[in-house]
Amino acid sequence: MAATFASRCSRVGRSLFGGLSNNSPGLFTTSHEMTCNSYFSQQQRTFIQMRTVLKVVDNSGAKKVMCIRALAGKKGARLGDMIQASVKEAHPNGKVKKGAVVFAVVVRAAMPKGRCDGSEVKFDDNAVVLVDKQGQPIGTRVFGPVPHELRQKKHVKILTLAGHIA
Amino acid sequence: MASQVLLQALFSPIQCPPSKLCFTSSCTASTFGSRNLPLISTSISRRCSPLIAKPSFVVRADSNSDAVSASDNVDENPEASDNVDEVPETEGEQILDSASEVEESKPPRQTRVKLGDVMGILHKRAIAASDEVRTTPDLRTGDIVEIRLEVPENKRRLSIYKGIVISRQNAGIHTTIRVRRIIAGTGVEIVFPIYSPNIKEIKVVKHRKVRQARLYYLKDKLPRFSTFK
Repeated sequence: MAATFASRCSRVGRSLFGGLSNNSPGLFTTSHEMTCNSYFSQQQRTFIQMRTVLKVVDNSGAKKVMCIRALAGKKGARLGDMIQASVKEAHPNGKVKKGAVVFAVVVRAAMPKGRCDGSEVKFDDNAVVLVDKQGQPIGTRVFGPVPHELRQKKHVKILTLAGHIA
Repeated sequence: MASQVLLQALFSPIQCPPSKLCFTSSCTASTFGSRNLPLISTSISRRCSPLIAKPSFVVRADSNSDAVSASDNVDENPEASDNVDEVPETEGEQILDSASEVEESKPPRQTRVKLGDVMGILHKRAIAASDEVRTTPDLRTGDIVEIRLEVPENKRRLSIYKGIVISRQNAGIHTTIRVRRIIAGTGVEIVFPIYSPNIKEIKVVKHRKVRQARLYYLKDKLPRFSTFK
């Protein structure tokens, strides 16, 4: 039994090592970047769900929020959806404080969003703008690009505040 | 009389593919060969044997008159003129006249479209139709392009997208390119179907030498490699 256990271990170890060596010659060559770069860079980006930490891109005072509920969508929130979030990190004197439960609109998502003409858009990060229950933004400025999917979701005020429409 | 009818019956289904004719003719020939039948049946079997082989035009020295008279029909029915060659001359002239009447009434054969080619042909037609409205330049990975897009929601003016092509996926009419750019501090990648009627203009501004077909590594590199004024 010890012999079979040892053989199973060695088999598992060999398959693991085989997997590692198959996946990335980059695993051993890239040293200054993250080592798991070339394998994990093809990750499948999915929805924004509970426990997702997002960046806040307005001047409401919060810096990072964690999603506690995706208000629309069974699997999670996508670009343009509203979520309920808890503020994890905030500027010292801002309109919202750490620990507050707020609503937010997703303005940038790493998951590609398809448009009706066959194009797709995706961003490099996940970002939100804090809003109140009616959907009006709390802050007065929005940083970074926003997609024009927000117009269809009736978040016109955010679009007017935005500096750049992707 | 009866022999002529039989030979006409053999010639009229010339339109069907030679393999089918071969089969029927070979089975008739086999049935005839077993019995002791007059010269006409053996001439049938002799005539039908070149159908089994490749239908190439064979000119014989003994039937020169038949070859010359059959030359105008050679492009439509090479196998018919093959048959005409081997027939003894007396019968050959009678059969040739009836055969030529039968052939000239039939229209020239159209090239058949195979089932597997249909989608390719449809894609080519759709691309040709889109090219009439707007020509699409040859886009390759590493090109720095500027795209003017009309968005139905944003009807007022054309949106301009600039960036580097990081991949091109070929799928006929839905051939897409993925364009990457750093906008206002954040990287944005947009997939454009290049033959879309919404795209009003695609222009290649510059080209960067790359050694990959898909530049997915740009996501992990410094933002300045994806920044374009």
